[in-house]
Amino acid sequence: MDFFEKLGKIDTRIIYVLFILAILIPLVSPLGLPVTVSQHTKQTYEVVNSLQPGDTVIIDIGISYSGAGDVLPQAIAVFKHLMSKDVKVIFTGVQMDSSKIIEDLIKPYEEAGKEYGVDFCNLGYLAGGENAIAAYARDLKKAYPLDFRRNSTDTLPILETVNSAKDVNMFIFFSVQNADMYVRQITEYQVPLVGGLIATIAPQAEPYLHAGQLKGMLVGLRGAAEYESMMGSPGIGLASMDAQSIAHLLIVFFIVIANISYLGTQNKTRSRKEASQ
Amino acid sequence: MSRDPVIWVSSIVTIIAFSYLFKENELYKAVEHLYVGVAAGYTLVMGYNNIVSKVWTPLTRDKNFLVLIPAILGLMLYVPYVSKQYSWVKRIPIAAIVGIGMALTARTQIMQQFVGQIKAAVGPVKNINSLIILLGTVGTLCYFLFTLRPSLPVKTGSEIGKWTIMVTLGAAFGAGIMGRISLLIDRMFLIFRDWIPLIKIR
Repeated sequence: MDFFEKLGKIDTRIIYVLFILAILIPLVSPLGLPVTVSQHTKQTYEVVNSLQPGDTVIIDIGISYSGAGDVLPQAIAVFKHLMSKDVKVIFTGVQMDSSKIIEDLIKPYEEAGKEYGVDFCNLGYLAGGENAIAAYARDLKKAYPLDFRRNSTDTLPILETVNSAKDVNMFIFFSVQNADMYVRQITEYQVPLVGGLIATIAPQAEPYLHAGQLKGMLVGLRGAAEYESMMGSPGIGLASMDAQSIAHLLIVFFIVIANISYLGTQNKTRSRKEASQ
Repeated sequence: MSRDPVIWVSSIVTIIAFSYLFKENELYKAVEHLYVGVAAGYTLVMGYNNIVSKVWTPLTRDKNFLVLIPAILGLMLYVPYVSKQYSWVKRIPIAAIVGIGMALTARTQIMQQFVGQIKAAVGPVKNINSLIILLGTVGTLCYFLFTLRPSLPVKTGSEIGKWTIMVTLGAAFGAGIMGRISLLIDRMFLIFRDWIPLIKIR
């Protein structure tokens, strides 16, 4: 086996170990690599920042714990921004883990003195995916007779003047699935629609942003980091960016290695064929 | 080290799940089964909560008997587990689910995903991005033209379409990798920050 063949047959376990080290070392001792803010995030920040104190938004948490690492930091950053602006937040959810994730999100603010039912509420998980979004966008109280804490939604002060998507100032969703169902069901209410997506599906949502159907979009953990940077409030997103960058460099390195190996072995095979002819 | 038993359990289970990367082993298999069991239990609890908040409370507190319709339709899904003879009954709620889902989607799909997207793609070319989207859309459509004789414009469009599709797939794959790394970073925070305090970032 020559050099190029050996290069193409590196034990995958070595790659895994290098990968873990490439992520762990920058987390343990951060490098402080610069983070530039993309146009998407700037646009999202400006749209959210245009909300006024007392405005109400719906945040749909379409996050499962399996995908939380990529999207939850976005939700934490945006919710922090909304709380700092005294915007009221109605939480809904279409993933089974939504209710618990929402409770974790609101807990620190409740402890800090914000009032449940007035500043925010957790309506919890509603089964049905797109059907659920369509149902609560049309009639919140009918779709949610009770909130996650078993309070009647008729008694929540935050819902006194809100009963559908058209009654809120903005609809924000965080999703590990797709943006399609939100665009399909919410756009008709003429309410600004903003999305935070797992990086894997973000390219598919790009046309909605171009068409103006989405007023803003955050992409994965990087989107969270950029948003934190815009807010001037570093969080888990910014802290992860060094590790993400080094891991990407490692992947690029292995792609180059694989291609060198491929080209090297191809040349050898070709010269062998020519010799045999 | 953390004193929270939840952090201990989730960290150990994460390490066992990662052990699959080295070699499949009995502990990994056990964790895999544990995951299926816990997920089933969790689904059951969430289902129970759903029934209490969406059916039982409206029925007993508000005397809203309309909720019985979806409740009965839901129960019909379980008929095959009770009687093989009447297993066809489950087709009724399935038809309702599919029908309602299709109707809700189709209702807005044409406006938002078809007309809306065409309008955005052929709209005034404001910047380089708009131009790339326009060329990419036309090119991709040319690539999937199967009934026209391949002339120079169609061939050129088709070539543009082929490159657009390749770039799209590359972007999707790259974004996919970025997403997976974020999930790994999240697990690193759990093991090396919440469990073993090696990472100092909060």
